[in-house]
Amino acid sequence: MSRKVFLPGCALPSYNPMNVEAVIKHLKNIYPDLSVVQKCCGKPTQAVGQAAKFEERFAGLVEDIKSCEAEEAIVACQSCMKTLAKGKGYKTTSLWELLPQIGLPKELVGKAKGSDVVFSVHDSCSVRDYTGIHDGIRWIVNELGYKQVDPEGRAREKARCCGFGGMVVPANPDVALRVMKRRVDDFPTEHIVVYCAACRQSFIKAGGKAWHILDLVFGDVVHANTPPPEDTLSKPLKAWRNRYRSKQLIKSAMR
Amino acid sequence: MAYDNSVLDKAREIAQDCQGGHLSFCSARCPMHTDAMGYVNLIGENKVTEALLKIREVVFLPGTLGRICAHPCEDKCRRNTEYGQPISIAALKRYAADKADDEKLWNTSKKPATGKKAAVIGCGPAGAQAAIDLAKEGHDVTIYEKLNVVGGMMRVGIPEYRLPRNVIDFEYTYLGKLGIQFKMGVEVGKDISFDELVKNYDVVIVANGAHKGFVPPIKGSESEGITNAADFLRAVSLDNKSVKVGNNVIVVGGGDVAMDCARSALRVGATNVTVVSLEKKDEMPASDHEQHGALEEGITFHCGWGGDEILNADGRVNGVRFKECTSVFDADGRFSPAYGENKLELECDTLIFATGQVVEDATDGTLQRGGGGRYSVDKQTLETAIDKVFAAGDCAGGTIVIEAMALGRKAAISANRFLAGQDLKADRDFKMEFHFESTLDIPLPEDAQDLPRKYTNALDPKERIKSFVECDLGFDGDVAEEEGQRCLKCECKKCMTECIMLNDFTQYPGEMFEKFLKDGDIEPLVAYSCNMCDQCTIVCPEEFKFAELFGAIRREMVKANNGESPMPGHKAIKMHQRLGFSKFFTVVAKGGKK
Repeated sequence: MSRKVFLPGCALPSYNPMNVEAVIKHLKNIYPDLSVVQKCCGKPTQAVGQAAKFEERFAGLVEDIKSCEAEEAIVACQSCMKTLAKGKGYKTTSLWELLPQIGLPKELVGKAKGSDVVFSVHDSCSVRDYTGIHDGIRWIVNELGYKQVDPEGRAREKARCCGFGGMVVPANPDVALRVMKRRVDDFPTEHIVVYCAACRQSFIKAGGKAWHILDLVFGDVVHANTPPPEDTLSKPLKAWRNRYRSKQLIKSAMR
Repeated sequence: MAYDNSVLDKAREIAQDCQGGHLSFCSARCPMHTDAMGYVNLIGENKVTEALLKIREVVFLPGTLGRICAHPCEDKCRRNTEYGQPISIAALKRYAADKADDEKLWNTSKKPATGKKAAVIGCGPAGAQAAIDLAKEGHDVTIYEKLNVVGGMMRVGIPEYRLPRNVIDFEYTYLGKLGIQFKMGVEVGKDISFDELVKNYDVVIVANGAHKGFVPPIKGSESEGITNAADFLRAVSLDNKSVKVGNNVIVVGGGDVAMDCARSALRVGATNVTVVSLEKKDEMPASDHEQHGALEEGITFHCGWGGDEILNADGRVNGVRFKECTSVFDADGRFSPAYGENKLELECDTLIFATGQVVEDATDGTLQRGGGGRYSVDKQTLETAIDKVFAAGDCAGGTIVIEAMALGRKAAISANRFLAGQDLKADRDFKMEFHFESTLDIPLPEDAQDLPRKYTNALDPKERIKSFVECDLGFDGDVAEEEGQRCLKCECKKCMTECIMLNDFTQYPGEMFEKFLKDGDIEPLVAYSCNMCDQCTIVCPEEFKFAELFGAIRREMVKANNGESPMPGHKAIKMHQRLGFSKFFTVVAKGGKK
């Protein structure tokens, strides 16, 4: 078995460090010599157009992966998925493709069978071509026992952007909000499941009710009247505190 | 700022090949480029007033054209080329006019007065359109019309049962509202000389049409009881009660004019009307709609016969012998009928030739004329040998009403340039001044299916031949709406329906990047409003990668801005990224070595 390194990305640790910790514990049960790197892949730097700075930052991350002697990077962020694919010397796998292979923690399987919620699945537009990721997410939702539905004609390879992409939010917040609202209107049900914490933030901002897939896996069972988790990513202090907390939890989980 | 060639090349490619600005098939085929797709869809949404206003942005005769336009747009309609069931574009235009036209909605704005004077000879569609366009430019326009009624050939060539006269009169009141003066019943060349007009006006538009019919010189053509379409239809139009025909009428010709003669003959008392055409039935130039109307009314057709000899008794026509026509055109497509041995003899007491019309000179021989008596003009500008004189409409080469209008507009553009002392040809988009083949190349909508064309209501043929009352009753509202909804919306604005931000800045990417190339720059806000989600690329038939281009533009902007984004909001990202890479928030936890 090749050595693996898990990269939770940026938004997920800032949103919910407990989910990061829970994923690591689950992965370590299967891959005892798992490494973890919490660091940005540089996608925002790249999107803004700072090409040289991006190269420098990304090279640093690749060094970190190599320092773990890992042959496979497991990522929980779709931007990381695409950015890391540019690096050499390791393979990149999405956590959402891996989980169906290794299974969920047994005690969580079927936990939401009694839920009355039907989740609309939002696919990240950056991974429209990654059928394995789409399938993986749907497998997880089903494995937990939730009912799910796709937005007709706007799922998988035809998914629409959540509005967060391209660093538009700080540049043109008005356009970003209109894109977010339109995407929320795509969904046939009130409850939305996403696999990117930034997408979740977008939908909360637009008045939608959205959960991260790991909220469903490791959090309480969601019912029709359950409010969505708070929008921590829109509160910078809380978000950075979470990112720091995530770092601490990673260190303790790896001890 | 200066951009790298790779960026400019990509922008150039998009500016050239983006189909966003390509006209729909219907609109490209219309010589006036009415936005048929636009108004058809508005009717489909039951926005009839908006549809009417859209039509009126381009043409002043929606009710008239909706009834009698030869609608070449329908030939090119994708529902025709794909399924043989074109949208009833003309009938929908009429529906909008009948339901929503109101003179209070008319745009009568004009540019400030220039003090220049324009004379227009002829009040048909070409003359009227030229007069309108020149009046809107602020010129003082006077129309000289030989007849005492407006409309030209629409008035005295097209019968009333197809085009009620009150429709023409109402729509022509628009000219008066623009301050255009009318000299009715004044024939140039008789009541006033052409030279006088040239002397007294700064520009002259000659648009006197082609009102002179003729009888071909075949044996017996001097017999009594023979007339030509132009004379017959003019007489029927001006006073149908004064027109007398025999019981048996033969109309020679295969176009819409022949249909008009035949159907009018029934209405002025003929009992048996026969149309004889040189062309075979499926080659006849008459529109399907008119052929169908004639057949419904009991008119008999003999197709593929040419006149051989007119038979007479006591100097009066009593029949025609025809010879079989084996082909109308030669191998090069020129009109050159070939005949076989077979003959056909038909009895008649009135014979009408609907075999073409020629131009009567209104310039006292001043302007040179060519085939059909048409004035010799520069086809691009419609200028004549006299530099302040332009010719338009049938007398300059048009064949149908909407073409005459386009030529009227073309002459007005030239005249306006002439009055402004500008070159007649420099930087002029001649392509847009007449019809052309649409260059649109897009797939059919995924959910497209063959849906039947909707037809308007019509008066019972037995009833309608008793008078000149309008035959076509037009669409009912719900049917019009359904017909409008059949439109396949042939335009390439696919990215514009997917992308929100593009709509804030442009009508289509081709336009955006053309402007970028022209200005040499683009607002940073444009490049930084792209979500880079590629939704545009997924639907673009050219698969243009706009996100990549915006990304490349961003990189150039950063380079020119000391390595930083030009967007003020991105200062937060700078800090965010610094923290995201700082030791405080990052960790490398190596496993398996303890």
